[in-house]
Amino acid sequence: MLRAIAIRAARVVAAAAGLTLVLGAVTVGHAQTSRPENTHLGVASCSGNNCHGATERPPQSRVPGNEYIIWSKRDKHRLAYAVLLEDRAIKMARALGLPDAANQQICLTCHADDVPANLRGPQFQLSDGVGCEACHGGASGWLGSHIARAPHAQNVANGMYPTDQPAARAEKCLGCHFGDETRFLDHRIYGAGHPRLRFELDTFTAIQPAHFVVDKSYVERKGLITDLQVWGAGQAISLIKHMDAILDPRRTRGGIFPDFVVFDCQSCHHDYGPVAKPTTTGLPPGTIKLYDANLVMMRVAASQVAPAAARSLSEHMVALHRASNTDWAQVQSEARAVRAVAESLVTPLAQHQYTREDMHALADAVIAVGLQPDDWQVSHAEQVTMSLEAIVSNMRSAGYIGEGQDGPITTAMNAVYATFASEATVRPDAFAKALHDVQRAIGR
Amino acid sequence: MSRWRGVFGRGAIAPMLLVLAAAIPATAQQQPAPPPQPAQDTVHLGVRSCAGNNCHGAVQPLKTSHIEQNEYLIWSQKDKHSKAFAVLREERGLRIAHNLGLQDAEHAKICLDCHADDVAPNRRGPSFQISDGVGCEACHGGAGGGGPEAPQGWLGTHISGTNHAADIAAGMYPTDRPIERAERCIRCHIGDDKRFANHDIMGAGHPPMPFELDTFTAIQPAHFVVDKDYVERKGRPNDMQFWAVGQAVDLRERMDKILDKNNVPKGANPELALFDCQACHHAMNQLQWQKRPAIGLGPGKLRLYDATAVMLRTIASRVAPDAAKDLGDHLVALHRATVEPNGDYWAGVQREATAIREAADKLVPALAKHNFDKGDAKALAQAVIALSTGGEDLDYSSAQQQTMALESIVAAMKAFGFADEGQLKGLDDALGKVYEAAADDQKYRPDTFVQALKDFESKLP
Repeated sequence: MLRAIAIRAARVVAAAAGLTLVLGAVTVGHAQTSRPENTHLGVASCSGNNCHGATERPPQSRVPGNEYIIWSKRDKHRLAYAVLLEDRAIKMARALGLPDAANQQICLTCHADDVPANLRGPQFQLSDGVGCEACHGGASGWLGSHIARAPHAQNVANGMYPTDQPAARAEKCLGCHFGDETRFLDHRIYGAGHPRLRFELDTFTAIQPAHFVVDKSYVERKGLITDLQVWGAGQAISLIKHMDAILDPRRTRGGIFPDFVVFDCQSCHHDYGPVAKPTTTGLPPGTIKLYDANLVMMRVAASQVAPAAARSLSEHMVALHRASNTDWAQVQSEARAVRAVAESLVTPLAQHQYTREDMHALADAVIAVGLQPDDWQVSHAEQVTMSLEAIVSNMRSAGYIGEGQDGPITTAMNAVYATFASEATVRPDAFAKALHDVQRAIGR
Repeated sequence: MSRWRGVFGRGAIAPMLLVLAAAIPATAQQQPAPPPQPAQDTVHLGVRSCAGNNCHGAVQPLKTSHIEQNEYLIWSQKDKHSKAFAVLREERGLRIAHNLGLQDAEHAKICLDCHADDVAPNRRGPSFQISDGVGCEACHGGAGGGGPEAPQGWLGTHISGTNHAADIAAGMYPTDRPIERAERCIRCHIGDDKRFANHDIMGAGHPPMPFELDTFTAIQPAHFVVDKDYVERKGRPNDMQFWAVGQAVDLRERMDKILDKNNVPKGANPELALFDCQACHHAMNQLQWQKRPAIGLGPGKLRLYDATAVMLRTIASRVAPDAAKDLGDHLVALHRATVEPNGDYWAGVQREATAIREAADKLVPALAKHNFDKGDAKALAQAVIALSTGGEDLDYSSAQQQTMALESIVAAMKAFGFADEGQLKGLDDALGKVYEAAADDQKYRPDTFVQALKDFESKLP
């Protein structure tokens, strides 16, 4: 994570200059234009040194041209397939009763661009892992217009996936980074040894690391999309997907327990030390608690953008937790209500323009979540940290962070991450101290 | 986990084994136990009425005494039962109470139920003090009499030095008998129809409660010595028998907990204390799941605690093979029922729990009668070891029970001379390594444990 922060800082500094110059019109929509029928031509069709595999920016290019290089050298998506061949994956596969991992649909569905055989072009290689077209969509329909430098909207109309749009990006990423009705990392897979997924759209875009630079050309073509718009859409869609999991009978019914992935991991996976009574949920100690970190963050986001929605989320959150101790049908009915509120917030959050004051207020509200001694959760702390990262990033690119502030903020944020060196040893007091330092560094 | 080690440590056990080993050779046969008549409503006179220096608080025993007379001293100095009330006032006790929404712990019935001899006020004699914790009469029964079953109480009979049977007849609780001792200990160490350290209490900060009757008798530490007098008065206790009966009573009680209407799942939260602690409570970077072909649950499933069921089945396969098969079949069905993807899963769980309860209940008297001999000692030790070395059950909870089972078997080997001194030394040393491998649930590694068991097995006579 520390390394990721450094990468992010570098990106932000590089981007800031270009960003502040142009405040073009913003068009953000909940676009859904993926064309699964397009053939996936394979990474080789994008990686030419005159296209996205350039070591130097090609003349007249609107983009740096090194997107393939960044992906192939630094982005873990490229290794997604390769890890299936490693020892850990083979052990996991055995635990699941499978002969291997690299030939299993259940693994390939997220560890590769696993389109049907008839949609694989001649240069397509499954072993490329999560390659270009896994996110940008099969290129057979749009590669022509793309090479011909058609406007972005034209490419999207031809089937390129609009990863620049916050909501669409959230849908795409969370399809694997949480799951949907077709792909789902259930607790069986975790129990077999899969590492835990944690996600926040804006931070994960940055630490991927992003292979785009938001400069003048970018803003002209795609509009100014802010970190906080990406963050807000990511939280809303994350929440929707968590509620979908509670509502999907195939994903939640398995005997006594619903699938454990709908619960907070540390609610069970902790040492036997006494835990504080979770006052905000109203549940007695010793109760398995539904995962609610996105819900808590959404409430924070909504309290700025749509106060009525925030109140509604608060009420349903309490009811959702209470119901988890009494009646699963009631849990589902509360989940439906939460989902509806989240759905109504996707577009407002993806389009909201945050003022300087908004950003400070948001930072304070996010920090307050991390300081709650009676309801301190590792999952909350994670979302607090990544949300702060998004806020700070947005403040930087908007020019709200003064000359001498950059260093102290980075130092303070790194200290926050350091309290996460190990999930088992993270302590609320150290985290709280680090948060106070961030608050001081951000200033007013 | 360090708080575990205090209970589950060799330090406390080794001296007790020496005491047991020093016992005279077996001459008396195990006496058939007369039916128990534990008195229910006698007056509790308090620890003071037992602790006199000419009674159970003596530094030197009287010449005519058939016991050590230091029983009170052992209890008050070494036995954690004497601290049971005091811990309620400590920081942890207060925090648990706070987490449960209680004012404090020392006045809460839910705590006093097991942390003191919490009899009704009208049954507390003038010297009775609740702060004595789990005192003499919490286990041995109220000494003051009063109820129709024991109108005079047993203290008079006891002091007059008649015999044990007369004390029992007068209302003393027969802790010397395996079934009765198991029932008495387990009513707190697991629970009964009124008492249960459920997961609310655990979640509030109560430490986990592993239990095995024979080992816990030894590490208490026991305040009795099995010498010639003891054997003449009460028969020679067989550690394997206490272990086996303890498992059966333990399992019966656990099944009762599944059948308890208070523990029916509500919402997404069944009573989590019915489940195996380490199935959830492990670090996420430390994988715990072990394939258990006999139960067939995949990874990522929360399984009911079944270490005593597996152990009882192992014992039964030597002593009562039909019951073993019955237990094995129903245990598989019980686990399957927990993941049955239809609305009736709990009915299935209860059906299987009822069948297991019945099997355990039948085994209680059978095991209390069985004469565990040298052949049993070896065969049972091998069967216990095979649970891990054969890859059938490598869960931590099972490793705990396997370790304590071997402890009991070795203790019986010593007491009955089933092994010579050199062999016993080898077994003792090997057992030390087994304990080490199972001492800490967060550091438990199946392969280390299996290796320690194999070394132990190679030392069996």
